[in-house]
Amino acid sequence: MSEALAGKRVLVVEDEMLVSMLVEDMLSDFGCSVVGPAPDLDEAMSLASTADIDAALLDVNLAGKPIFPVADALKARGVPFAFASGYGAAGVEGDHAGAPVLQKPFRQSDLERALTGLVGG
Amino acid sequence: MDATRRVHALEAALAEETRRTDALIRIGEAVGAGRDAAAIVKAIVEGGIELTGAEFGAYVQVIADEGGERYLPYRLPGAPAAGFERLSEADRAALFASVFSGHGPLRSDDFLAHARPGRSGQPPDAPEDPRPVRSVLATPVISPTGAVLGGLLLGHGEPGRFKPGHERIVSGVAAIGAAAMDALRLKMDSLADAEARGTEEARLAERLTFALNAGRMGSWALDVDSRAYEASDLCKANYGRRVDEDFGFDDLVGSIHPQDRDRMVAAMETAIRDGSDYDIEYRVIWPDGQIRWVHARGRADAIVPGGSAKRMAGVSLDITERRRAEERQQLMLNELNHRVKNTLAAVQSIAFQTLRTARSPAEFKDAFEARLLALSETHNLLTRENWEGASLRVVIGSELDALGGEGRAILEGPDIHLSPKAAVAMGMAIHELATNAVKYGALSVPRGLLNVDWRVRQGCLELEWRESNGPPVAPPEHRGFGSRLLERGLATELGGRVELVYREQGVACSMRLPLAALEEKD
Repeated sequence: MSEALAGKRVLVVEDEMLVSMLVEDMLSDFGCSVVGPAPDLDEAMSLASTADIDAALLDVNLAGKPIFPVADALKARGVPFAFASGYGAAGVEGDHAGAPVLQKPFRQSDLERALTGLVGG
Repeated sequence: MDATRRVHALEAALAEETRRTDALIRIGEAVGAGRDAAAIVKAIVEGGIELTGAEFGAYVQVIADEGGERYLPYRLPGAPAAGFERLSEADRAALFASVFSGHGPLRSDDFLAHARPGRSGQPPDAPEDPRPVRSVLATPVISPTGAVLGGLLLGHGEPGRFKPGHERIVSGVAAIGAAAMDALRLKMDSLADAEARGTEEARLAERLTFALNAGRMGSWALDVDSRAYEASDLCKANYGRRVDEDFGFDDLVGSIHPQDRDRMVAAMETAIRDGSDYDIEYRVIWPDGQIRWVHARGRADAIVPGGSAKRMAGVSLDITERRRAEERQQLMLNELNHRVKNTLAAVQSIAFQTLRTARSPAEFKDAFEARLLALSETHNLLTRENWEGASLRVVIGSELDALGGEGRAILEGPDIHLSPKAAVAMGMAIHELATNAVKYGALSVPRGLLNVDWRVRQGCLELEWRESNGPPVAPPEHRGFGSRLLERGLATELGGRVELVYREQGVACSMRLPLAALEEKD
């Protein structure tokens, strides 16, 4: 359980089932509730635009498609987010270069730190 | 001496003088007309005979080469071998040493009287010669540069035939011959040099062109001040220009990709300013719009050594194929890195979740290893297929085989191609089902049966996993990794529905997964 993160609603966008299961488990440990996980761009867009969320963790590459439209939608709503990427920080460019990037595989404590930073805990 | 005799003597002397003068003029003309060394030699030998009344005449050439000096008689076509020519070379060198060393003429009234036999042991004349040489007049032929070219040898069978006057006039003839031979040699040398130089230059130019063409290299030159730019045919081709098209410096700069142009101009300016190497790769836009890569190398120097005017020259090479190969390689490396990182995250996930459900370290080890190997098995399948995907039947079959379930299951369904990502997910899901079947379900007893059949309906794969004839099944107290992976993980990743039912007569699993998600490229 994490004081800063307990009760936060976190959108997870991830197309690899084993990774999304891992993130779900890690978030559950923090006391977060998981929104998603969304495995594709359409579902991610829909949740990012409408769901009640405090933060998001976005896989940079979703079945070969860049996640940036979802990041744009979140930014427009003022929802903070972090990226998870197999490419490292090099996969993130342009407007979102300032967002934290977790390189896969990442430690549970890395995720906690990144999310805590996002929700201002 | 009376007056008449004096007049006769004077008249005779005058006639002799006139004859000599006429002869000298003729010799001079003959020598001057000589187009080759043989003609010059012939003219001076015959002239010497005529002016001295000699019976024999010969010319001995001095040849200086790496083997030292040699003294060879110059054979005139059609002329009989004179007495001098039968001398050995060593004898010639010894007898006429003062002549060949250029010290001056040698005149002897009776050569036999003071000549010593040479190394051959023979006197100057072979015994069979009916007319031994008695009077000798030998004169060096010295070029204006001081080199002794040879010796003009005159001889007579009677002693005392050559006088000091003969010596002087033959020296004149020798001088004329030497000058003519020297002029001829200079002419021949310069002709030969020019020819050799021309041939060598042409050969080098041809070889250079061939090498440039063979290497697909264009060559170019730039006059820095006037900006006059010359490009070879291949150089033009590197910029998409035809041979007959103009291609000046402005065309060159204009053809360079706007994003690379400043870099190119700066590199060129640096090379001109510092005399450093110009070595740059840039993109060019061909007139037809295609973008190619060119590698240009060159160097600047002063047109005149020490002058301020500069020129630049170099080569250019189309490196588009190499660049594209590098880009493909970089893309593949990035993709490989991405896959490895995702796979490590998947392994992390397997460890994380296996640890949560394992009741003992031994149980963790067994379950973790089995899942790791299931993942590895699917990777093997994909590697065999070049990571282009795998068939659903093969994925199911190989996971069952790995657990010893081969031959126990009946698989039935159409051939369906899975993308690499879907194959990995399906492989893990089947592994969980098969592990449960082998440990607790139908495949744990000899009589148990497993049917896996599938079909395509409304754009979806519908797959049924049915166990029967196994031990009675009871639902687990809490759902573990396997059921979560099937019902949540697989269903979420592939955007479908997966239902796992623990029927008493055997486990059943129904999947309904959109084909689009199964075949989607990752």
